[in-house]
Amino acid sequence: MKRNPTDPDDGVSRRSVLAAGAAGLSLSMSGCMDNVRSVVSRDGDEQLSLSILTVPTEDGRATAQIADHLEENLRTVGIDASTVIRSRSEFLEQSLIDGDFDIYVGRHPADYDPDFLYEALHSTYARANESGWQNPFGFASTLFDRRLEEQRRLDGDERRELFVDRSYNFLDTLAAEKPFDPICRPSEIRVARSDRFDGWDEDHRHLATRTGYLGLEPTDDDIERLTALVTDARPSRNVNPLSATVRERGTVVDLLYDSLGTVVYTDEGIEVASWLAESWTEVDRDEIGHPDDESNGDSKTDDEPDGDGKTDDESSGDKTPDDSDDKTTLEITLRDGCTFHSTDDDDDGEPVTARDVAFTYRFLEDTTLGQSSTPAPAPRYRGQTSAVDEVVVADDADDTLWLTVDGGRDVAERALTVPILPRHIWLPELEDRISDFDDFSVEQGEWSLVTTDSVEPIGSGPYRFESQSERSYLHLERFEDHFTLREDLEEDHLRGPLVDELRFSVEPNNQGAISRVENDSADLMSSSIDAHAIGRIPEDHDDVVRLEDDSWTFYHVGFNMRRTELGFRKAVCRLIDKEWIVENIFYDHAEPLATPVTDAWTPDRLAWDGEDPETPFIGTDGDVNVEAAHAMLESEGYTIDEDGAVLRRG
Amino acid sequence: MLVEVLTRVAIVVGILLPVSLALFIGRERLERTIVELRPRLRICAPYLAVLGLVLILNRVMRQTAPNMGFHATELIRDIEGDFILIFQEISTPELTAYFSAIYVYGYAFLLIFPGVAYFAMSDTKTFRRLMAAYSLNYAIGVVLYILVIAYGPRNHTIFASELGVMLYEHSPQYQRLTREVNRSVNVFPSLHTSLSATVGIFAYYTRDSYPKWFVVATVIAVSVIISTMYLMIHWAVDVVAGLALAVVCVALANKIVGRWSYDDVRGRLTDLRRRLDR
Repeated sequence: MKRNPTDPDDGVSRRSVLAAGAAGLSLSMSGCMDNVRSVVSRDGDEQLSLSILTVPTEDGRATAQIADHLEENLRTVGIDASTVIRSRSEFLEQSLIDGDFDIYVGRHPADYDPDFLYEALHSTYARANESGWQNPFGFASTLFDRRLEEQRRLDGDERRELFVDRSYNFLDTLAAEKPFDPICRPSEIRVARSDRFDGWDEDHRHLATRTGYLGLEPTDDDIERLTALVTDARPSRNVNPLSATVRERGTVVDLLYDSLGTVVYTDEGIEVASWLAESWTEVDRDEIGHPDDESNGDSKTDDEPDGDGKTDDESSGDKTPDDSDDKTTLEITLRDGCTFHSTDDDDDGEPVTARDVAFTYRFLEDTTLGQSSTPAPAPRYRGQTSAVDEVVVADDADDTLWLTVDGGRDVAERALTVPILPRHIWLPELEDRISDFDDFSVEQGEWSLVTTDSVEPIGSGPYRFESQSERSYLHLERFEDHFTLREDLEEDHLRGPLVDELRFSVEPNNQGAISRVENDSADLMSSSIDAHAIGRIPEDHDDVVRLEDDSWTFYHVGFNMRRTELGFRKAVCRLIDKEWIVENIFYDHAEPLATPVTDAWTPDRLAWDGEDPETPFIGTDGDVNVEAAHAMLESEGYTIDEDGAVLRRG
Repeated sequence: MLVEVLTRVAIVVGILLPVSLALFIGRERLERTIVELRPRLRICAPYLAVLGLVLILNRVMRQTAPNMGFHATELIRDIEGDFILIFQEISTPELTAYFSAIYVYGYAFLLIFPGVAYFAMSDTKTFRRLMAAYSLNYAIGVVLYILVIAYGPRNHTIFASELGVMLYEHSPQYQRLTREVNRSVNVFPSLHTSLSATVGIFAYYTRDSYPKWFVVATVIAVSVIISTMYLMIHWAVDVVAGLALAVVCVALANKIVGRWSYDDVRGRLTDLRRRLDR
């Protein structure tokens, strides 16, 4: 297996310690200190040191506690570890956008489908240095890339087999190479008032997605508002659907925007069901005529911002005829008569057309629509859209389009879950920002269009944006024209917004949030409750229900592969006692993990069985066995000095 | 919830204040104050106005200041190590209750009482100096907050596991209060420390007029300063910086106030005119 070739030096480089001090003065100050240290020990017997990037306890107590556990064990074995604390959004900026970390502890948003590993680990994203959850580790392996591509092409049982049955697959590679180490998957537990709303425990409901907030029936006609508490203040500040730093998960975006398909939870598993699209069927790609035909091209060139734009860059896919077998084309029919929220109360909203859909996919693929010298993909939804090969709008109908992906049906359907953005809002916003055509280039993931909070949050979703107040609340109102409120719908999962107002109110304290639900000043704790506060949920309260949802997010330690080498990463992983973490930090409200995919996709050999099959903890009950750890480090080529400090190699 | 806490603070201070006025100041002084209310107010008004302005500015800047400072949490911890943990070793539920009460109520009382007490002194110079020192504390403090971004110990990973017994865990409303007043990255320096120390220094200056207050103020001020560390809100470095800030502010206040008093300025002007006339 080929490792990251850009990492010639051993262990954690000196540069990384410099960088660990982060921005501004602190950088230069810690730099000075480091220089002093290295002057004293110039002959190479310098202690191995590294920084652990994490969030403050108020932003994620479990994350901070895991970092604490790791720091303590690293120090115990003689590695000079220190934590670097950044607020939630600064943490994401530093790890996902700047790539400025040795290792970090965080929570991965993941996805219901294991294809999220594609954006997490494909080398394309490491090379392009992309912003967002796309390969922040800098992992690059051609063989691994091929496996990731292979799983995209397969479907159904065949695909599952690749994950679960094949004797050595890329999950094993992942466990062996350790670009990141999954620690545990927390239970998602919430509390809600059952006396004010009915339907909390219905099927297909997940409170991290739109499904959780639809179809909730007020028990009394007077009840007009659902107050949902969130511990995270970011939605009260910015709801830009493209930003990588203002959210991990997209609950609010899910409510403001529709996607073509929606994820539903059934007894058989998770599937993508019709939403803004009434239906889709797999068709032969030839049936849609010639996609490169002039007439079809029209709708795309319309999306060029005004001015002397460069030529349409539709050349991304290598459209040789022989790989068309690996592609899937869906013919998609949009639901009739859907509109976006109106910008003005008197107006009717603009209709949602196939052109908006085509615009969305093109825009997510490059938020400058070809105007920048290098493309700037949206930092979110990268995995979903990266498989999209082309989107063709029917000439004669507003409601039909064809979407072709490089991959199987599973991957095609996952692509249907991105929010559909209104062309009439985003295109002018883009044009406003292109001031100088000759020299327009942007930093992917950091330029104003994907970070701003000033783009009107207009979608076609079941709730529309009403107001927000920083650090206090985000107020949504029911979108009366949403298709789910029509009477002729038959499918079970098409539930509508039944409550007039939905207010996400910021309550940073978990216990405070629980008691507010308990004493009826809120209807729901929308953020999943931190493990330490789960014990505070009232056991036998008549009107408070405890809700438990499936979870696919996981806590993990991410490594910067540009700064760490394999032996070191494995050593660090062996200093993490996942069983102990689950017991003492999560009070057993989590399951330890050896591989990041959900149970249905986990092969037996990587299922948790008392210890990590690849990197078992070196010690007992959270306490590291120093002698054994030193022996392990020595076998990796590290020297331990007489004081028990691990020295840098070479 | 916030209103609830503020009301409670107001009630506690509202009860403590009249009791301590009777105890420390005495009837005679208070009566004279009422008689001389107008002239005293006239002299003191500019100082109160400045303090009000500084407080408003302080609040606005804390809420809206951009992230332009440098991150110092790691540096602070490098300097003091795990010093703050010694308070965890002596921690008991009673002490926690005491320091929590001191941090919220004791502090509010400590700052408000001397305002009244010094206003009741016939020479308003001390009052004006105190107001100037308060203003300086807040003004210099907010500049440092913007320049130095640091999380307090309670937000630092190393203490993540120790938080079980602490103030906020049992009383989320306090967290609400401090969050409202403060962003969690505003820890350097400790303004709780600098203002308490400022009051302490003034209490020392006025020990002849208010001997009992000197004792009480010292006890409360020292308790507040310890509570910031005991409750893991501030690092020892923040406290040391707070003490230094207090000394600087008091010294500056002493220099400024009195130098440019109304009489002084008028005197100098006449002086000047006389010289010019000559």
